[in-house]
Order: sequence, then C-alpha cells, then structure tokens
Amino acid sequence: MLNGELFLRLLDGWAMTVRLVAVSAPVGLLVGLAVGAARVYGPLPIRWIAALFQSILRGVPLVVQLFILYYLLPRAGLLLSPFVAATVGFSLCSGAYHSEYVRGALLSIDQGQMEAARSLGMTRLEAIVYVVLPQATRKAVPGCGNELVYLIKYSSLAYLVTLVDLTGAGRIQANASFRFFEVFVVVGCLYLMMVAVARLGLAWLQRRWRRSSGTFTEA
Amino acid sequence: MLGMPWSPNGWSATSGLRRGGHAPPAPPSIMADLIAVCTVLLSGLGMTLKLLAYALAVGFVFGLPIGVLHVFGAWPIRLALRGFDLVMRGFPAIVLLFLCYFGLGGIGGIHLTSLQAAVLALGLRSAAYQGELVRGAIEMVDQGQLLAARSVGLSTFGALRSIILPQALRFCLPGLANEYSIVLKDTSLAFTVGVVEMMSRAKFLAISSHQMTLVYLSVAGVYWALTQVGLASFFAAERGTRIPGLGSTQRSPRC
Repeated sequence: MLNGELFLRLLDGWAMTVRLVAVSAPVGLLVGLAVGAARVYGPLPIRWIAALFQSILRGVPLVVQLFILYYLLPRAGLLLSPFVAATVGFSLCSGAYHSEYVRGALLSIDQGQMEAARSLGMTRLEAIVYVVLPQATRKAVPGCGNELVYLIKYSSLAYLVTLVDLTGAGRIQANASFRFFEVFVVVGCLYLMMVAVARLGLAWLQRRWRRSSGTFTEA
Repeated sequence: MLGMPWSPNGWSATSGLRRGGHAPPAPPSIMADLIAVCTVLLSGLGMTLKLLAYALAVGFVFGLPIGVLHVFGAWPIRLALRGFDLVMRGFPAIVLLFLCYFGLGGIGGIHLTSLQAAVLALGLRSAAYQGELVRGAIEMVDQGQLLAARSVGLSTFGALRSIILPQALRFCLPGLANEYSIVLKDTSLAFTVGVVEMMSRAKFLAISSHQMTLVYLSVAGVYWALTQVGLASFFAAERGTRIPGLGSTQRSPRC
C-alpha cells in the first residue's frame, strides 16, 4: 500500500491546495459581489463591461484562462508566479460565477428597501453596501456555496501551471511509485474531505443566518 | 507529427509563423496569422466536439435512469447512487481523468485509449450531475399527477414514461444547458491524458510557433463562441418545446 513518506508528500500538496482555496475563495467572493452589484446598479457602460466580464470568464475554460495569465502576461511585461497566476485565475473565474448569483439575489430584494434607505439620507452607495448587499449575500449563499465547492475542485488545475498542489503531488508520487490507482483515489478522497467540510460550514452558516432573522429565509 | 494538418513549409511561406534563421521576417500580417492559427485549432475542434457529444450522451443515458432511481428506487439502490454521486461530484474532473486513464490499468488491467478514458471520466461525471437535474425536475412535477395516472390504470412505469418524464425533461432543459457549458469547458482538460483535441493543438502550436498570444486568445474565442452557440440552441429548444400553461404553477424543487 501507500507508505508514510508518499502520504506526507501528498499532504504537502494538500497544504498548497488549502492555501490556494483560502486565498481565492474570499477574493473571488469580493469580485463576485462587486461585479454583481455593478451589473445591477452600475451606469449603462459599467453594466455592459460587467456583463462582458461575466460572459468571457464563464465562456472560456479555466485552463485557457490560467494559461493566458501564466504564459501570456509575461509577454506583456507582467510576470506572475504560479501561485499568483493560479489565485488570480481562480478568483476572477469564481467571481464571475458568484456575480451571477449575487445579481439574482440583488434583483430579488424589494426595490422599496433602496427607496427607504435613500429617504433616510443614505447615499446610493451606502444603501447598497449597508442595506441591500447584506441581505442579498444571505440569499446568495446556496448558489455561492456551490461555487465554493466548484472552486475547491477546480483548484486542481493549478497543477497545469506548474504548481505542486494536491493533484500535482499526486501526479509526481503516482509516477514515482507506479501506484496510480491508489494515489489518485487518496487524492480524490482528500478533495472529497475538503468539499465535505465546506458543505458542512455552509449548512451551518445558512442555519445560523436563517435563525438570526426570519425575514431572510427562502420563500 | 504525422497527420498534422499543416506543413512547416506552408507556415513560413504564407504566414510568417516561423520566423527563424536568417531569412528576413515576412511582413507581419495579423489576418494571415489568425487564419493559419484558426486552421490548426479547428482541426482539433472535431475531437473536442466528439468528446463533448460522447460525454453528454453517456451522461444522459446514465443520468436519466439515475435520476429516476434517485426518486423511485429502493433504498439500497438509492444508497449506492449516493456513493456514486459522492465520488463523481466530489472528485475534481482532472483526478477522475487520471483515475480512468492511469488508474484503471493498475487495478483491473483495463487499458483504455485516451479518448475512451476521457469519455468515461467526463461521461460518468456528467451522469451524476444530470441525474441530480432529473431528480430535481421529477420532484417539480406534482406528485398528484402520479396518483391520478395510477388511478386511471397506468403502471408506475407507464405513468413515468407518458406523464412525469415529458414534463420533467422540459424542466431539465435550463440545467442541461448549464451542463453543456460545463462539459464543453471540461473537455479542455482531456489533453492531460493525451486526447488530441483543440486545447492540445493550441498548447502544441503555442510552443512550436511564435504566436502564443494569438493562439491562446483564439482558442479562448473559439470556446467562448461554442458556449454561446450551445446556450442559444438550448434556449431555442426550451422555447420550442414549451407547453403553454405548463410551468406557470411550477414550484421550487425543494417544496
């Protein structure tokens, strides 16, 4: 079976994957909130740009995006390390997916809330940031949670820009030991564990938010 | 190199893609380069579409019964499907590809070609997702309809075939459109197990020519166009198969 040394190497890769996700998930969520809000509340040109951003990042495979960031940007004078290229790619891509859920959630918030906030003297931006977005974020949790799960799984593409993450470590160890099946099953199960933890966390978050305010539950 | 649809001579003569040696560089012509790059990319498009079609077909053929069994199956079957789902939806696509291509040989001595392995991995993965879609869609159809159908003498299977599924499959269409775009983009991972599809051509061309920028931007453009065309077709299919009145009382899958 798998020896301890090999397993430790896999755990090293796993730590890299965790770091990747830990950075890209929050940044991606912020990108998603910004783009989603821009699509709903921005002036017309900004709305178009946000829609274009969504369309491109959701229509082009993530591998291609990563290759562009890692191999093409140096030609434009911007050299990214594999880690930075991967996190930027993951953040932008998952942000594009998040933004669609955020947009849906924003549209589902009663227009009257915006008017009420404005009539209390808040600026439009304040109303968006303090009144509408907090509610929309809660509504977007199920969709964005799915996106987080996707992000965990697609973080495996970091291996394609030479980063030794869990998949990369798995590939190296499998090649060295010829135990392809066992190694990749272990690698898959480690991803599965991360996904399971994320799902538990999201379920907890949803329960908590539902309890804290009855009005924000799904209709 | 055999079977590649371009000749090295053709490049330097027509497009200046190979500017090497002491030959004076051909006058830059972005259009000629673009056409040359796209010719190579499109030669991989066939394989991409083949992989996409096979994976979606495998996904549908297995996903439909999986979805039905999720709802109507006996509990051991449902439990087994949960396990299948867990693996297929919990493992990254690339790990599934590696498992099918490198892993299967190690345990059962099953040696698949790259294309077979890719179809198996992406197809079964899609089956799990499509099964989930079908399950959700079946649950959207009012359960009273099944009772009504049974009470006028249809068998459960008959009711499923003539009453429930025709409605459920229509509810599935938006999800299937999504699935199309996901599987399309996942086909670009098949180059990691050696399938010579569009991404693989692009990668090769980016290294062998000096047109990396053009190659990667073009391949992004082709994938983007494929996504848009596919989504538009699914949207058209949705409108074309719509039954007036159906769906107006439709409820969320969770109720």
